[in-house]
Amino acid sequence: MMLNKKIHILFIPLIAGLLVSCSPKNISTKYYYENEKTLDRIEETYKALYPLGPFNVGFTDRDFKTVSLEIITDTLSYIYEFGINETRISDTLAAYNLNAARIKTLIKEMHDIRCTWINYSDYYVDEKKHTMILMSIKPVALKSLFSYAKYYVLSYFPQPQYFDSEGRLLDKRKLRRLRKINGEVFKRINDRVCYSVAGHFR
Amino acid sequence: MNSKFDIHTSFFKAGSISILLWGVLFLSSLSVSGLNDKQYFLAGHVTSTQQQAIDYIEKIKELKPSAHWPNIKPDLFLKNLKTNIYKPASIYPGSGTNFCGYGALTYLFLQDDPLGYASLLMQLYGEGKSTFRNVIFDPSPAIKLQAGELKYKGLLDINPAEQMWYLSLADHYKGYLNFFNRKFDPGDENRFWASVNYGKFNRMTRELLHYDSEAIGADLMRPKVGSLYDYISERMKTGTVVLFINNRVVHKKDHIRIKLGVPTHFIVAEKISIQDDVITFMYWDYGRKTQLQVSTNFFKRIVFGISWFTKKENDAK
Repeated sequence: MMLNKKIHILFIPLIAGLLVSCSPKNISTKYYYENEKTLDRIEETYKALYPLGPFNVGFTDRDFKTVSLEIITDTLSYIYEFGINETRISDTLAAYNLNAARIKTLIKEMHDIRCTWINYSDYYVDEKKHTMILMSIKPVALKSLFSYAKYYVLSYFPQPQYFDSEGRLLDKRKLRRLRKINGEVFKRINDRVCYSVAGHFR
Repeated sequence: MNSKFDIHTSFFKAGSISILLWGVLFLSSLSVSGLNDKQYFLAGHVTSTQQQAIDYIEKIKELKPSAHWPNIKPDLFLKNLKTNIYKPASIYPGSGTNFCGYGALTYLFLQDDPLGYASLLMQLYGEGKSTFRNVIFDPSPAIKLQAGELKYKGLLDINPAEQMWYLSLADHYKGYLNFFNRKFDPGDENRFWASVNYGKFNRMTRELLHYDSEAIGADLMRPKVGSLYDYISERMKTGTVVLFINNRVVHKKDHIRIKLGVPTHFIVAEKISIQDDVITFMYWDYGRKTQLQVSTNFFKRIVFGISWFTKKENDAK
């Protein structure tokens, strides 16, 4: 009886600890600051490459072996899938006059940090179009059973944003409405970078 | 892509009773969906040209606010309507919504009868209700308050004519997927309220478009047509083909290994070719055209419905 009680005393905190440590809530600004240089470098590289020829890129499999590439032209979007080591990637990028070497470096950096997707996204404030970069990552901490199918999503804005007292991204300064991106509420990391933990990587 | 696919998540939350009822309703809808059963629909009146629609819309220099649609800005409404007539491919049913079926319908509508589309939307805007062919659109007060207020849907945010139209379509047309959510509440554009099953899509096109049409397929079973490539490419030679596909495996948004093999998305086929068992396929959805290459097996896996629309000889060229 006494032994059972001891087991309970030990077991309950262990389970509780496991749940908390694996919870997506534990992934927050800390993850960004721990990986800030790499994450920002990926964003900077993508931002620099995009105007030379719009594209979105990411990994559509769990093992980060299948690269999905969307090349966007004025008239059409082309969707390709490659194995990460396939030489066809370079040929395809070259065919669209894209900088194959730099994009391959970007893909490698994304692979190494388990970045699942990066793309530009439009949003509208007072009927004016703005753009931001969305980047999703599948950190190892979000790989556990309890955080199945969760992604750490970063939004990079070109200008400072407005937040409420809880650090949640707002629509605009005067209107105290939360801005949702892909249905998710985002929280402040700094003036122009926010994060969310979402069930989708794009 | 987006929460337009969230219907599946919501679906499971609905509980086992809902699933049973859903199953019963699905089975009862098979005759409407036309499971492997070709349906022939009669075409309506002669359709209009893009130039007729341009002549009509360009005569409207200024639009007054509508008492029926308090949150629609008239200048944005007119601009949106003009853009849709000049560039039908630019229509955008919104990121995260379940409006893709209405988008595909509208894309066909704009190519078939742009003048009809423009006058229908103008009447709906001005009078708060409209009649087109034998269909009477009389949107509920909740819809009239919501149009112009949809946010965070990308380009749809600034396109109130499209907001009004998609909301009115979803409000008017009901299928079995809408059974548990029939009354609009804010946010329902992303939920079952807005969902379109295959039978409902074909019903809408039959009632609103002046095409002859033929549909094969169902919501949960793939069409049995032999070579899917041959079947689709043959029909594309003489008409427009809309496919009802499982987009969860085409446009992946997560890495879940086991995905439900159900269709979620309507696309309009533009071009198709085959070489060495690889299909190169171009389609329209969400404001632009996309081209991808897939194996014939993969293509077979994703296609659940094929709707084929042909125009009558006396239609406007």
